[in-house]
Amino acid sequence: MNAQPIIELRRVSKLYHKGDADIHPLDDLSLTIDRGDFVALMGPSGSGKTTLLNLVGGLDTPTAGEVLVCGQNLTELSARELARWRCDHVAFIFQAYNLLPVLTAYQNVELPLTLLPLTRQQRRAHVLTALDIVGLSDRLHHRPDELSGGQEQRVAIARALAADPELLLADEPTGDLDAHSAEEIMALLVTLNRQYGKTIIIVTHDPKVAAVAHRQLHLEKGVLTLDVDTLEKGA
Amino acid sequence: MRLLLLNLTRKPLRTLLTIFGVGVALLLFCFLETVLNAFNAGVNMADASRLFVQHKESIIFELPMAYRQLIAQTEGVTGVATACWFGALSQEPGSDGKKREEFFAQFATDIEDYLRLYPEVQVPPDQLAELLSDQMGCLLGAKIAQRLGKRVGDRLVLRSTIWTQRDGSSIWEFNVRAIYTTDSPTFDQTMMLFPFKRFDEARQFGQGSVGLYMLSIDDPGRSGEISSVIDARFANSPYETRTMTEKAFNLQFVGMLGNFQLLLRSIGTAVVLTMIGTAVVLTMLLVSANTMMMSARERTREMGILKAIGFTDGHVFLLLIGEALVLSLLGALAGVGLAWLLANVLHFNPKPDFFPVFYLPQESILAAVGVAAVTGLVSGIVPAVTAMRLKATEALRSV
Ligand SMILES: Nc1ncnc2c1ncn2[C@@H]1O[C@H](COP(=O)(O)OP(=O)(O)O)[C@@H](O)[C@H]1O
Ligand SMILES: [Mg+2]
Repeated sequence: MNAQPIIELRRVSKLYHKGDADIHPLDDLSLTIDRGDFVALMGPSGSGKTTLLNLVGGLDTPTAGEVLVCGQNLTELSARELARWRCDHVAFIFQAYNLLPVLTAYQNVELPLTLLPLTRQQRRAHVLTALDIVGLSDRLHHRPDELSGGQEQRVAIARALAADPELLLADEPTGDLDAHSAEEIMALLVTLNRQYGKTIIIVTHDPKVAAVAHRQLHLEKGVLTLDVDTLEKGA
Repeated sequence: MRLLLLNLTRKPLRTLLTIFGVGVALLLFCFLETVLNAFNAGVNMADASRLFVQHKESIIFELPMAYRQLIAQTEGVTGVATACWFGALSQEPGSDGKKREEFFAQFATDIEDYLRLYPEVQVPPDQLAELLSDQMGCLLGAKIAQRLGKRVGDRLVLRSTIWTQRDGSSIWEFNVRAIYTTDSPTFDQTMMLFPFKRFDEARQFGQGSVGLYMLSIDDPGRSGEISSVIDARFANSPYETRTMTEKAFNLQFVGMLGNFQLLLRSIGTAVVLTMIGTAVVLTMLLVSANTMMMSARERTREMGILKAIGFTDGHVFLLLIGEALVLSLLGALAGVGLAWLLANVLHFNPKPDFFPVFYLPQESILAAVGVAAVTGLVSGIVPAVTAMRLKATEALRSV
């Protein structure tokens, strides 16, 4: 594994003003995550998990501190550069799948690729590969409303994979799924981590899901309260 | 780009309604433009390279025929034709068998001189030869010929409200010898011309006088100068002249016909139509603006997704503006297309006798498309800017 960590947070804080009250979703948080890791991010609702994920994925910027991901200091990038950086390096998987309802599975997966300098054929190859990995090669031309929740989430994962990012950020990806579909999704994420070497951070409340990870981080009120290495017993 | 088009298919009904709205608004707009254009056509068909000479006081007074020679000698004048307004009504039996009087423009004129003055008027050579060899002949515009159901060789009976024949009769008979057409969209195709010679010999009074001299000049830029020279030439004579451009003449002519009432009613109608049109355009604009804002609100989340995937604020802006533009331009295509089809291809004319010239001018088409584009931009700009400013994290939070 690469010596340099893929993610490094240096004394990161995030602050919101809500009326008179200040909300500190993240408070002076430092953290490193290694390349190829599979991290479960846990904690009660409102503890700052999503905020942390958004900072790492360059969707949001910290109030203080520095965020380094894939060797790039995100705090130095403009909004435009961040958008561009995102399509090359990270991909999000959401609890609500967040597919575009007017597009077919194929088109949804293709969407992020349209931002990259690829030919039609290259795009097609990427899309087919990604949909093959998630096992949906037979659902290319279905719209989201013609798919089950588990299938929708798999399309969303394929979309995340399409541009071949190093880092996958999943925010409660199994939260809306039944137990069976959730297991399938988790198995898929494990495969992506083991076989394809993706670094994965997954936000979850489910201990079973967390047990799959190499490492569990517990957040509470914006502060890391527990950092468990589960690699030995989990494997 | 494909996303843009696909988004439009998401709510087909709403998309269609919006297109329909913009379409109807622009159809009305175009109709209005066509009508207004028809009002102005008489004025527009005028050419600054042509001058009209009439009696100084009014068109109802006549000028001596001897002036023709003097006017023709004026420096800068390249051609002269004489003309008298005939002011007659057609005497054709209508479909119900009763006599139907129809009003249209007739002039007694030197046909050959007239055609030299108006090269845009086309007459088939064989018909022209027939016309020139028949004292009783007349030349009809293609449109009025069609309206009266006349063909070459038919007889045409008119009742003049001004001129009586020597026997005191106001009924005049003609043989339709030729029919003219023109490529000029503004040239009136509902006129009737007949030889001045026959008119002058047959009329009971006024022999040797002319209502109007029409001239062509060598340089439109000198129309003012040449007019002054002519009018100065006849100053202090018993028949002083007033020379003006064809355009100015047509303007006063409309008024002199005694059609003030018609004119006022037409203007009134035009104003009302304009108001209705404006109201409709505004309503449609609001409706479509609202539609687009609504759809953007619903789609806040999707814009968040796009941004999370790596779309920049600029992409999102263009996407929404593009959608609004495509919608309104599709509407324009429908509305303007239909109007164009009606006016320019099917020649649908609600009042052919009021509007001898009825078509949708190109500028109006451009204006309509412009209105549509502006509508699109205006209605798209708010949601587009909102979506652009929106932060992905906020958008995704709003479930
Ligand atoms: N845009 C925002 N404005 C104000 N407060 C926010 C905003 N985003 C998040 N928060 C607050 O930050 C805290 C952490 O939120 P979040 O990271 O979504 O928590 P989690 O994902 O762990 O449930 C919450 O108290 C939330 O209300
Ligand atoms: Mg959350």
